[in-house]
This record gives sequence, C-alpha cells and structure tokens, in this order.
Amino acid sequence: MNIWIKILYAIISISVATIYGLILGGFVRKIYARAHGRFGPPIWQPFLDIIQTHGRRVAISHGVMYYLGPVFRLGGGLGTYLFIPVIYGSVVFANFSMAGDLLLVMYFIFFGQLGMALGAGQGGHPYSPLGIARGLAQMSAFEVPFSLAVIAVAIQYQSLNITTIVAAQQGSILNWTLFTNPFAVIAAMISLLGMNMHSPFSIVLAPQEIPIGPPIEMNGSFLGILQTNRGLFAAAKLVLFMNLFFGGATNLLIMVIKTFFIYLVSVIVGASFPRFRPEQSFRFFLKWPTIIGIIGIIFVAYF
Amino acid sequence: MVNPIFILILSLAAGFLLSIFEKGGRKLSLTVFYGVLSFNVFVIAEWFYRIVFLSEPALIINTAGFTAPLSINLRLGLQESFVLLFTNFTGLMAAIYLFRKFIKSHISSLILYLILIMGINGLVMTRDLFNMFVFMEIVSISTYALTILTKTRDSLTAGFKYMIAGGTASIFFLLGVVFVYYFTGNLNLDFITQSDFSHFGLISLFLLAMAVFIELKPFPANGWALDVYQSVNSGITSVIAVVNSAGIFFVFYKISPLLPVHLLHILGIAGVITFFFSNLMGLKQTNAKRLLGYSSIGQIGLLVASLSFTIHYQTSLIYLIVGGFFVNHLIAKAGLFWLTGIVEKENLKDWGVLKNNKSLLILFGVLLFALSGLPPFPGFWAKWEFIKILTQTKMFWVVGTILLGSLFEIIFLFRWFTIAVKGDIDSNEKEIPFEFSKLFPIALFSGIILLISVAIMKSYYDFTLIQLLPIIAVLGVYLLDFIPSKIKGFLSLIVVGIYGYYLYPFESNLQLFFGIIFIVGSAINIIGTLNRKNLSQGFYGFLLMMIFSFGNLIIAKTYLEFFLAWEFMTISSFVLILRGNKAQMASLMYMIFSTAGAYLMMVGFSYAPALNSNSVLINSIANVQLPVLSIILLAIGFMIKSGSFGVHIWLPEAHAEAESDVSPFISAILLKAGVFGLLMIGISYIKNTPSFDVFYFVGWFGVITALVGAFLASFQEDAKRLLAYSSMSQVGYIVASIAILSHLGWLSAMYLSFNHMMFKSALFIAIAGVYYRTHTRTMYEMGGLIKKMPLSYITVLISIIAVSGVPPLSGFGAKWLIYSSFIEKGWYFQAGVLFFSSGVSFLYLYRLIHTIFLGQLKYEHQDIKEAPIWFIIPQYIFMAGIMAISMNPNLIIQPLNSIVGHYFQSAILIDGYNITSSLGNWNGNLVMMVTMGVFIVPLLFLKLYNGKTQKVEQFNIVYAAERPESPQTTHIAHNMYAHYRKALGGWGKPRIWNFWHEATEWSHSFGDFFRHIYTGNGQTYILHIILYIVVIYIILGV
Amino acid sequence: MIFALILGFALLLIGIYGMLSQRNLIKIVISFSIADTGTHIIIVAIGYLRGRTAPILDKAIDIANATHKVVDPIPSALVLTAIVIGLAVTALMLSFIIELYKKKKSLSIDDYQELKW
Repeated sequence: MNIWIKILYAIISISVATIYGLILGGFVRKIYARAHGRFGPPIWQPFLDIIQTHGRRVAISHGVMYYLGPVFRLGGGLGTYLFIPVIYGSVVFANFSMAGDLLLVMYFIFFGQLGMALGAGQGGHPYSPLGIARGLAQMSAFEVPFSLAVIAVAIQYQSLNITTIVAAQQGSILNWTLFTNPFAVIAAMISLLGMNMHSPFSIVLAPQEIPIGPPIEMNGSFLGILQTNRGLFAAAKLVLFMNLFFGGATNLLIMVIKTFFIYLVSVIVGASFPRFRPEQSFRFFLKWPTIIGIIGIIFVAYF
Repeated sequence: MVNPIFILILSLAAGFLLSIFEKGGRKLSLTVFYGVLSFNVFVIAEWFYRIVFLSEPALIINTAGFTAPLSINLRLGLQESFVLLFTNFTGLMAAIYLFRKFIKSHISSLILYLILIMGINGLVMTRDLFNMFVFMEIVSISTYALTILTKTRDSLTAGFKYMIAGGTASIFFLLGVVFVYYFTGNLNLDFITQSDFSHFGLISLFLLAMAVFIELKPFPANGWALDVYQSVNSGITSVIAVVNSAGIFFVFYKISPLLPVHLLHILGIAGVITFFFSNLMGLKQTNAKRLLGYSSIGQIGLLVASLSFTIHYQTSLIYLIVGGFFVNHLIAKAGLFWLTGIVEKENLKDWGVLKNNKSLLILFGVLLFALSGLPPFPGFWAKWEFIKILTQTKMFWVVGTILLGSLFEIIFLFRWFTIAVKGDIDSNEKEIPFEFSKLFPIALFSGIILLISVAIMKSYYDFTLIQLLPIIAVLGVYLLDFIPSKIKGFLSLIVVGIYGYYLYPFESNLQLFFGIIFIVGSAINIIGTLNRKNLSQGFYGFLLMMIFSFGNLIIAKTYLEFFLAWEFMTISSFVLILRGNKAQMASLMYMIFSTAGAYLMMVGFSYAPALNSNSVLINSIANVQLPVLSIILLAIGFMIKSGSFGVHIWLPEAHAEAESDVSPFISAILLKAGVFGLLMIGISYIKNTPSFDVFYFVGWFGVITALVGAFLASFQEDAKRLLAYSSMSQVGYIVASIAILSHLGWLSAMYLSFNHMMFKSALFIAIAGVYYRTHTRTMYEMGGLIKKMPLSYITVLISIIAVSGVPPLSGFGAKWLIYSSFIEKGWYFQAGVLFFSSGVSFLYLYRLIHTIFLGQLKYEHQDIKEAPIWFIIPQYIFMAGIMAISMNPNLIIQPLNSIVGHYFQSAILIDGYNITSSLGNWNGNLVMMVTMGVFIVPLLFLKLYNGKTQKVEQFNIVYAAERPESPQTTHIAHNMYAHYRKALGGWGKPRIWNFWHEATEWSHSFGDFFRHIYTGNGQTYILHIILYIVVIYIILGV
Repeated sequence: MIFALILGFALLLIGIYGMLSQRNLIKIVISFSIADTGTHIIIVAIGYLRGRTAPILDKAIDIANATHKVVDPIPSALVLTAIVIGLAVTALMLSFIIELYKKKKSLSIDDYQELKW
C-alpha cells in the first residue's frame, strides 16, 4: 500500500479518535457534575479549553526537556493509538498495527508517560515529582493485574496479535473474553480504574493535595497539547480494552457504544468512591486484582 | 658431591666449636654460622639436582661400618632431598632474617640454631625409629631453648607449655618405639612392614603415630602451639612453624606406610577437623601472629589429610597435592611470620600502616593470596586435584568441611588484607624501618613461590602462554608503573586490541558473541579510564588481568582452564574493587561470595564426567551428561557471580564502592561471566536432559532477582547503588531467559546481555562523569544538572529508555523477546513477575534521571562543567551502538538467531525488518519510523504555532503565592518512594541482608565458643593431649 | 620381667596423673620425670628379646648370620639415650621455671594463663 494513503488513513483515524475522545471527556465531566449536583460545562468544553490554551500570547518554558515533555506525551498517545487496530476489518482504522503486537502497545503507553514525567521534572516544581512518584508507583502496581490479564488472553488465543485476538472473539457475544475468561477481564477492568486515574485512584492529579501534580507548570500550548492527548489517549486505551476483552468492533458505532460503556465503569466507580492514600492504592492493586488475575491465568491454562 | 652425613658432622662440630670461635669475635662466629648453614643448602641442592635432573638413585648411607638393621642408616632420595632443600634453605633465610638479632644475642642462640637445623636434617634422613626419636628430641630441646630468644614473660610461658606438651608427646613416641621393637624385633623402617604387626601389635603403631600426630598439632590438642606462635620472636616462630613442621610432617610421611588404612583415614579426618576448626576459630582473632598460628595449624591439618587420602594414588599426583600444599603453606607462612616481625603490629586493625609501604604491601599480597589457595600458587592446584579425588570417591562430607574451612580462612585472611590496603592509619605513625636482612628473605620467598607456580603450570599442566597471560599482565605493568597513567591506558587499549585480534580466530558463534561483550566492551570502557590523572599504580595491570581472564574463559578447553580463568577474574576484579576509597567492606564481601561460588563450581566440575574431546569447553560440554549435583553446584556458582537473589548482597556494595571508572567493567561486563557460565551448563543440559529440572528453579530465581533488584534500586539514594541493583535486576531477566531453554529464551538472554553491556556501561560512565564534577553519589544532593551537563543527560536519557524497554529503542526488543519466550514456554507466572519488575524499573529509572538532572540546580553546582571528554567518548560509542540496533534490530537479531540456531530449532521468522514469533510480531524499523513521525509532528506544531515561548530563570514557578526558599527544599528527591515502601510493609525488610548478617554473627560466635577450650593453662593442654589420644584410640577400636 | 613392666606402667600413669593434678610448676616437672622414668623402666622390661645372645661378635656367632642370632644393640642404647634426653628436658624445664619465677614470683601454673584463645 502506498505510504501516503496509509498516512492519510492514519490522519483520518486519529482525528476521529481525538474528537470522540474529547467529546467523551466532556460527557464524563457532565456526568460528574450531575453526580455532584451541579449543572456542569457543555460537552464541547474540552474543545473550548484547547482553543483557549493555544490562544495564549506567551508560553513559559523551563528548558528543552520541559519543552519536549508535551511532545513526548502527545507522541505517546498518537503512537499508542496508531499501533492498535481500531475497527476489525477496516482498512482505514487498521492504523499501523502491523508494526507490532500487544506488547508493543503496552510498552508504547510508557513512551508518553516517561517523556511527560521528564518534562514535568524539568519544570522544577515540587508537586511535579510528587505526582510522578505516585503515578509511577501506582502504574507499577496496576500493571500487575493488567499484565496477568494480558497473559491470560495470550494463553487463551495463543497469540499476542490484537487483530487475531479480536478475530477469535467474533461470531457470538459469548466468544468475548468477558464471557470466556471473566476473571481476567475483572482483573483488567480494575486496573483500568487505575489507568484512568479516577477516584479512588486519582492520587496523581489529586487537585486538593498536590494541585494537578505533574502538569502543574504546564501552560499555553504545552497544556493545550496535553489536553488534546487526554482525549486521544483515553480513546486509545478504551479501544485496546474493547479489542482484548469485549469482542472488538466491526464499525464505528459499535466502537463508540462499547468504549462508552467501558469508560462508564470507571466513571461510576470514580463518582462513588473517595480517594485512596497512595500506599492504600498500591496495596489494593497488588492484592485482590492480582489474585483474580492469577485465577484468570489458572482458569485458561489449566482448565 | 659431598656426602650429606657431613651436614650432620659439620653442624655438630661447628656447634661445639662456635663458643671457641666466639673468642675471635662475633664476626668470626657469624661467618662460621652462616657458612655452615649455606654449606648445608649447597650440599643438599647438589644432591637434589643430581636426583631430579640426572636421575641418580637414592643415596643410602650406612653408619658405623655395618649394614642396616644392625646400624643406623640414612636415606637421601627424592622426597628427602626436596624436604631438606626446603628446610635448610628456609633455615638459612630465617637465620638471615634474624641477622640483627644474632649479632647481639648470646652465642648459645647460634649454637642452638645450628643444632636445630642439624636435627631436622637427621630427622628427615634417618630410617631408624629410635634415631628418629633422638633427632626429634634434639630438635625439640633446641627449639624450646630458642623460644626465649626474645625473652618476655609470654615467650617463657609459651615455651614452658610447649615443653610439657612436647615432653608428653615424646613419652608416647618412646613407648611406641619400644613396642614396635617388641613386636617386630626391629627398629629400621626399611625392615618393618605392616604385616609384621599382629592385631594387638597395632597399639605400638598407634602410639607412634599419635605422638607424631600430636606434634602436628591436631585440634583440639594444640593450644600450646598457638601460644608459641603468638609470643615467640617472628624469626624463630617461622622456624617452628615451617622448618620443624616440615620435619615432623616428613616423619609422619615416613611412618605412614606402616599405618593401617583405617587409622590413616581417622588421622586424615582428624586433619580435616583441625583444618575446619582452626579456621573457624581464626575468625575471631585480632592478634596477627596468633591468627597466623591458627592458619598454620589448619594448613598442617589439611596437609595431613591430603596425605592420608591420596596415599594410594600415583606418585606424580601425590607430589602435586601433598607437595603443593606443603610448599604453598610453608613458604607463605614463613614469609608472613617474617612480615609480622617487620610490621610489629599485634592487632590486625593497625595493619593499615602497610599501605604506606608499597613493596611490603605487594609482598604481603603475594604471600596472602598464596596462603588462600588462589591461583597461580601451588595450593590452588593441590586443592583442585585433592577435591577432585575426594569428590570422585564421594567423600562429600570431607569436601564440604574442607571447603567451608577454606572459606573461613579466606574471610579472615582477606579481612586482614583489606585492612592492610584500606585500613585507618594513625597520622603520626612512624614509617616502617627498612632492614635489608629482614626484607630479603620475604622477597626471595615471594619470588620462589611465584616461580614454583609457573613451573607447575608449565610442566605439570602444559599450559601455554595464553593461560599465563593474566599473571604476565600484572607483572609486566608493575615494571612499567612509573609511566603516567594516560600512556599506560593507551598501551592497555592497544594490548587489548592485539589480544582481541589474537583471540578472534579461535572464536565462533557463542564465543564470538561473548568475545565482543568481553573484549570489545572492555576496550571501549578503557577509554573512560584515560581520565585518570595520577600514576594509578597497579590499576592497569589488574585491569588487563581481568580482561585477559574474560578472554581465557571463552577459549578454555578443560574444566581446569575455565576455572583458572574464573579465579583470575575473581582476583583481579577483587583488587580493582578494593581500589575504591571506601571499598574495604565491599571488596571483602565480594571476595567471600566469589570464593564460595568458586568452591561450589570446583566441586561441580570435579564431579562432572571427563571431557572426551579437544575442542573448547563450551562446545565439548554438549557431549557430557552432567550429573544433577554438578548442575546445581555450577548453577549456584554462576548465579553468585551474576548476583542472583539470595546471594546478591555483595553486588550493590562492590559496584558502588569500586572506583567510578571501574564500576562499568564490574557491572556491565563481569556479570556476563556468570551468564556465560549458565549458558555453558545449558548447552550440556539441552543435549543431555538431567533427571531433575534444575533450570526450572533457576528460572524462578531469575525472575525473583529481577523483581527484588528493581525494588531495591528504587529505594536507593546513591546513584551507583541504584545502578548496581538495576544490574542485578537486568541480569535476573537474563538468567531467567537462559533457564527457559528455548530458542526465543536464549535469543532474549543474549540480546539483553548485549544491550545491558552497552546501556549499563554508558550509565556508569555518565555517573562517573557526574561524580567527577560534583564529588557526590548521593542523588538528592544534586539536581538540575541538565543545563550544566547536557551530553551526559542525553546519554542517561537514551540509556534509561533502553533499560525500560520503551519503544522505539533497543530495550523494547528485549522485552518483546522475553515475554514472547516466557508465554511460549508456558511460564505464565514468571512472566507476570517480570511484568511487575519491568513496571517497578520505571521507578528507579525516573528517580535516577530526575534527581540528578532535572528539578532544581543546587547553588554549589552553578559553575560545574560537562564531564571530561574521556568520559563522553565511550558513552557516545555505546549510544551509537544502541541507536544502531534500535533502528535496525536485524543487526543483532540475525547473528544471534543463527548462533542460537546451533542449539535450538529457530522459533522466529525474520522477513525484512519484521520479526514474527509464534505469538506475535515486531517490526523494529517501522516502530522507529512511526515513533519519529508521531514525535516530529507535535514538535513541529509546537515550533510553528507556539512562537512566543519565554524562557524563565530558576525558581520562576507557580508556588502557591510563595517564593521557594532554596533548591534543597524545592527539589523533591530524598526518599522519593516512601509511600511505596510503606505499601510494601513487612515485605520491604532487608531479610536477606539480615540472614547473611546472622550467619556471620553465628559463625563468629561459634569460633569464639570453640576457642575458649584454649584456656591458657598448660595442664589443660596436657589433658587435651591425653584425652585426644584416648578418644582416637576408642574411635579406632583396636 | 613382668613386675618391672607393671612398675613401669604404674610410674607412667602416676606421672601423668601428677602432671594433670599438680598446680606447682616444679611438681609438674617432677611428675614429668616420674612418667619419663616409668617409660624407661618399660623399655628395659620389654627391650630384651628371648632366645638371642649378646651382640658381641666372637667365634660363637658367624658374621653372616649375626643379625638373626644376636639381640639388636640399639634398645640397650636406647634407654641410656632416653635417660640423657629426659635429663636435658627436665633441666631445661627447671631453668624456665626459674626465669618464670623471676618475672612473676609465682610457681602456680594458674598464674601463667595470659596467652589463651
């Protein structure tokens, strides 16, 4: 295939995902507001925010790494998204998924996080490393149930190729991993709570403790890029979960419906629970979800 | 060609006449004295030469005109001439050592000394039991009298205890002699055979043997000897410990053919017990001479054991084992006792004075290394062959006891050595006075033991120059040590290049791969050492020694060659680590763990079946079915070297405390030796699967190491310790991947080995540069260095991305291969642990880069510059390597694929840049392209759109309406992951450290407990002797 | 001869007992001497070989078979030598005791235990 067509497809795919992700973000803010008894911003508020931050006349920079931090972050979001096949059978939304398998996606997630952490670090604000330290620690903890779930999936489908995994779940709703290996899915969904950083796992941004944490020094276009990424990255993660555990999607509509409900889990939990202390959060992930993940592996490997 | 009986005659005559010569002045009597001693050496040397090189038969001398048994006859054969050459020469040297003492002392000391040496000559040569008794008493009485050459209360007391103990032993000897006569009607050894004794008659042999054995100081009937060693003048102590011991041991050797096998074995075991306990008790010693005493007693025990257990083997082997232990112990011990007389520090803690006197320190090192049984010294070869015999006859208890005893010995000897090199020193300490007469014998003995070592290597083992190269390197560079270190560095680089070029044709496949890691990796790291400013004496010698031993490891053809290279590697790396400023404890721990590992390997190799081909070990071992025990022992040995969980505690200390340009060698390259070893066992393992799946457990150890290492690294404040634990973690991955024993597994192990060599070298060199500028390794004392040291920052950035496994850099390849291989193998939970560990590794990586380079710059670092060019060059060579294999993974995947293809069916498909495994695929190049794309697009956007970027000064941050006070309070760095530590709760306790600490405490307490049997009361010592004889008698059950 | 043998062993044991039980240095040396004397008596008692003649070469013994006909002369010499050696050791011990007494003014072995462990 011509590389330029490929790139064109990628641009379309990214635009769709970004817009969807941002709308989803706005929608979630609305839901939270209602849960708190407020009216809430309009659902296109994220777009307004991005326009607003990009419109700033001056952007403060603390140095080269600071400058590159948001670039890394958005690059990470873009890359993660591009390595996931979004819609099963679609050429436009297949992205660059032939470059690698699930392991590539899992590790590319870190690309943006690491870069952002470095950029925020150069900002020199004490809250940044505080947030990052919490974030890295929590990440290492919720990666455990998630990776156990991934291993279970790999055992079940004898593949790490996302397209193959989605293909194996086609046919009936009962072919979804959700029903063939519920333990793995539960473990993964709990770790998704951590990934999405809603309460009770909102220790990284924790507005009341370490006001917004890592991106505290970010401003102007830097912040705008981060906000863009927030939409795209959320979409990428949800699509990944949909592919691994919920049978993937054969068209955009199904993708939107499935990812919305996957996200809703985090939102419901987030709106209902108070925040953990950092060590409580780490310990939580290393206990029950991990045990469920282990059961998930035993379930597929030995039964 | 002088009849050796003249030794006795002349010595006696001179002894009697000395008091007359004394009238002509001390000069005359001293001339006569040294003349006679030299004459003895000369006569024996000539006979030794004739017997060895001209193959003359043994000389039998009859006395009084009769043939034996009517008269006493003397024999001078190969053994006798060797022992006599040694004792006479040592006697002469000790006399030279005592020269200043002899100038002033009473003439009787000279007479006694001559008579003593004469007695030893007689003792060795005589074949008559009663005559033996007479000579023994002559030796004893003169020795008793000489103990008070320096008359102190201690030496008097010790002398008295010695006398009553010796007297008691002699009563038993006398009884034994007369009973032998009663049962056989003869006293001449040539006319008595074992069959002459009835069952009851064995009692006579028993008494005889016990009397001699008591003189050889078995545990616990040896308290008197310790007191003598501690309190008597060093010169005389050396004579007692060396010349007398040699003589008595030879008596034991002479009567040993008469002894029934079971008695011999009991005595052998008693020797082993002596060896074990004296070394255990030595742990608690603080007095230098008493420590040597303990060691001496132990070594004699080992000597007796070696004789008892090998007596029925072929002569050349006995010569190597018994002769090896004999020469090794006695030479080293003589030299060390002499040294204690020069240094004149009773307490070991005060031996730090040695570091001001390089030549004494070197001599001390040589003798101490020899005493420890390290190569190339004779004790090493003896121990190797002895352990081999014991292992093959399945005497595992004996093997274990001897090796544990040796380990204790290593502990106290090397503790002493590290004090001498690094110990505290009083500032107003006087220089050690230079006395030629005292230094000369020590230097000569050190030289002799080296010569003997080389002789053994060349003549017994037919080793070529290449195996000797590590020693040659040290000696060669020692001669060139006056050259500035930069030139030495360049020369070393060239030498390593030549060595690599020489090695190249011998290598293929796996060897070539490790050749690149070891030799090329070392060569690049040498560039980092070029920053040294001063002379760096000794540094390059041991560095080259280490690099050569790496190479020799690869091309080793036999177990012994491999083990030799391994030990050379340990020695050289130990010395290199010891060079660090505060490395006393670290290097000691390294040495102890390495030695323990080496002993396990020694047993493992001894138990392995013989190799039946002449190709390199790594190939020929494929055709050998290793027993399970061998595999376990070897695997533990290699895992100790690679810092596996449980035996890892040496690793952070050694890596952190070594000089900063040495650490990359230790961490990035040395650890790979363990990896190489494990692969070697693996090669045998896959062709001949053992009945018990050892590698399954090795795999678990590997993944736990990876996880624990990552956690420990995250909790460090010291940059180098952090990197050290990171190495532990990474090598854990490698070990686990090897244990998978599949194509993908080995591919990942080697891929990661190569990668780790590059990024860990780069990281350590980068930190070396930072340390060079900031003079601190504590990370929270730094911060914000990115603007001052941007080049180092880039290195660290790229390296940590490569460590973490984040695409697109080479680290991801390793992660991809590892997880694929684990899942493919079915090791799901192990894979889960590795995922966890990989998540945790982000913690320490971020901590490393953030706390040093990001955040707030400290005021005191406002003016520092980029690291020196010599640190930058190697970093960027490694960076180029990482970038190259990141862009095009095939550069390394393809060759590794074919290398591993020799052992397993290939499990991956390489199609262009795309690599497909049974589970998934990875296109490194495409990933790189996409990443560059997604990185450049936002960057361009930011550049074009966001043109009004304003740079701000330090501290210009949003800080809750308050101005930050100082970098110290603004830079979040100290105890960064406190919350994680809290979350881990009880899991975060240093259990392994505590375990080893407890083990140390316990062994020291045991040592302390047992040494309390030496109450200091002479009567108790006699009781020990009597009881000892009774107990052995009961065990023997005659 | 059997009486001498028993006497010898008895002296030996008494001597050893004395060495172990006496605290006084001089008494220890005396005990050593007793044990030594016991040994000498044992040698005398058993050194003789039954049925052989004195080791004097005359017409009664032809030189070729001498070794099978005469008593080995060495055991006879043995006891003399042993006595001399014992004497020397005893003398040396006593002189050490004198020196020790000069240094510390004590004859009890319990006072000379500084060197231990």
